[in-house]
Amino acid sequence: MTREDPMRSFTSDDTETSVALVGAPNAGKSALFKRLTEEYVDVSNYSGTTLKTTSVTMGSTELTDTPGINGVSSFSEEERVTRGIILDTDAVINVVDGTQLDRDLFLTLQLLDMGVPTVVALNMMDEVAAANLELDIDTLETALGVPVVPTVAVTGLGVDELQNRLSEASAPASTPIDSYYDALPDDIDATRAEKTLLIEGDEPTARRVDTRNLVADGGDTSPAVVDKRETVYRERRTRVQSTVETVEHATTSGEPSKKWLEDLLMRPATGIPIVSGLLIAVFYFMGVVVAQMVVGYTEEILFGRYYNPAVETVVDNLLPTTEWAAHVEFLLINDNLGLLTITVQYILGVLVPLVAAFYLVISILEDAGVLPRLAVLADRGLNRIGLNGRAVVPLIVGMGCVTMAVISTQMVGSRREQIITTALLGLAIPCSAQIGVILGILAGLGFVWWAGYLLVLLGVLGVTGIFLDRVLPGDQEALIEQLPRVRAPRPRNVARKASNRTAAFLREAAPLFAGTAVVVSTLDYAGVLDAIITALRPLTAALGLPASFGQVLVLGLIRRDFAAAGMTDLTLGAPQTFVGLVVITLFVPCILTMTMILKEHDARSALLMWVGSWVTAFTVGGLAAAALEVIL
Amino acid sequence: MTAALVDVPSEEWIELIDVPDDEVRARLLRLGLLDGRVKCHRQIQNGPVVIQRHGTELALGRPLAEEITVERASSDRAPR
Repeated sequence: MTREDPMRSFTSDDTETSVALVGAPNAGKSALFKRLTEEYVDVSNYSGTTLKTTSVTMGSTELTDTPGINGVSSFSEEERVTRGIILDTDAVINVVDGTQLDRDLFLTLQLLDMGVPTVVALNMMDEVAAANLELDIDTLETALGVPVVPTVAVTGLGVDELQNRLSEASAPASTPIDSYYDALPDDIDATRAEKTLLIEGDEPTARRVDTRNLVADGGDTSPAVVDKRETVYRERRTRVQSTVETVEHATTSGEPSKKWLEDLLMRPATGIPIVSGLLIAVFYFMGVVVAQMVVGYTEEILFGRYYNPAVETVVDNLLPTTEWAAHVEFLLINDNLGLLTITVQYILGVLVPLVAAFYLVISILEDAGVLPRLAVLADRGLNRIGLNGRAVVPLIVGMGCVTMAVISTQMVGSRREQIITTALLGLAIPCSAQIGVILGILAGLGFVWWAGYLLVLLGVLGVTGIFLDRVLPGDQEALIEQLPRVRAPRPRNVARKASNRTAAFLREAAPLFAGTAVVVSTLDYAGVLDAIITALRPLTAALGLPASFGQVLVLGLIRRDFAAAGMTDLTLGAPQTFVGLVVITLFVPCILTMTMILKEHDARSALLMWVGSWVTAFTVGGLAAAALEVIL
Repeated sequence: MTAALVDVPSEEWIELIDVPDDEVRARLLRLGLLDGRVKCHRQIQNGPVVIQRHGTELALGRPLAEEITVERASSDRAPR
């Protein structure tokens, strides 16, 4: 302890302490987190507003992994989440990419200016040598005044030493930032960390300090934000530069580069074919291998032949033959959505394989550093519909699960962009469970229908985007995206991410499915479903579809993929199937998605999106039906 | 010689001298991209501009790159 700050302290005795891993995106925080917590199983995911942070309790220390940042401020959702954690934690392990000292030391010096007890994990030491660099670690330790431990997170090198020196976490008693504190009121009730953020003009910190001072004084001596951000940042950058100069030495001249893949990905002429190839591979894997072969096996053989008949027999035998028992029996094992039969088949037989496969793919792309490059390639096209390239991530996630994508829209920038992305997701992006079934049906119709389906969806996506871009107030936010190195994905990392996400999804979705099944079965039993189907008769007739399509729509009100699955039971001609698929894709988002939209936006936007999707689905469906009649 | 970032050819060394947006300027400053010379790594046709410094690569959307004024360097030596 070298610090005099009365608000926070860090000791390693047996009182409970909290430590956060903080660093730039891709500096290796998560790999290090995994290494540090290897022997502990008590992992919990805390979902913040948008970003999940993971914490593990190791003895008396709670270690938290945080979203990657380049500095402590409030420019993005990641920064807001991480800033909050840094302000409350007892100490941080600052993960620094050894090959990127010039970029990463800004955050380190900012943490020290804030007086946050810090240990630096100088990571990626293996790549430092490969980049023909030499780092003088003792000099860096002297310059920073806190422990610096060289590590290679992926192999575990230096992790023991890091653990041992965690108790030495400290911050210098004073730094050059002190001279700026004069600009703040003398009697301000704020920690060193808060003072630093105040002179850097951080609004949320100002509000936090304001409230406290108002309460304490009972008066209105509000400490105005003293915005010296630029001056402070520039001063800190000069410290970074002089530190890097004394610490980093090039061993040989010449640029070590194997960047041809990066270059190919970034050139539209080669990037677009590579990405298209990638997407085709993904759709083959998801649509044919998983959605048809794997799911076909689980549904028809595992559930159809073994599980469902067995459960039906057991329930039959267990329940007495009274009248009330017949009601219960219907709820449990009816052929549409029985709680113990079809619902279980649906969750375990269909959703688990599809969702797991999807997260596997996304985790591979993410670990390989491909997603930010997709954002750059997509930026031009997305600009036209009022979005920037970052929206490509929710749109891709949406193909896994629209509900999750709605949550991830908070990362695309301003409210305006969030609304456009959410509307597009709710309307024209089919989710993985739905894609699987739809791909299966379209594969049976032939390639032309498949291409036509894609074309209709892209058209709707484009028109809706352009429309919203015109009518919504404000300007679009430009893309600023750091591009990490492209590297071979690491299987362990990928497996861990994919399994965590699948488990998290199931925890949230499974109870909802079960609840939905009970409600729908009850409505079915009471005859309400038939009434709705009759009411929908004029609409289905206008599309040239049979009355039974109304039942598909009713299922679609609840789950988009229920509707897709319902389509497989109808015997329709190719044009009718095509129109039906277009309608159910554009039709309302599922109940879970609507709940999320309500949570993230306001009721009015949510209602508009819901009604808008009814109108769009039937208009486009009607147009498609009419067009097909003319063509065929 | 000054120019807009969008008008600089790929692989040319430049210095960013005017970034109008406060927040964007702060973010670039933090990453060291306003300290001196950076390389205009790639101009994607009608798309973002990628700038580079010490292995840090940053893509800036076209509307943003249009607003940024740069000083074009006369030689193409690396900055250190």
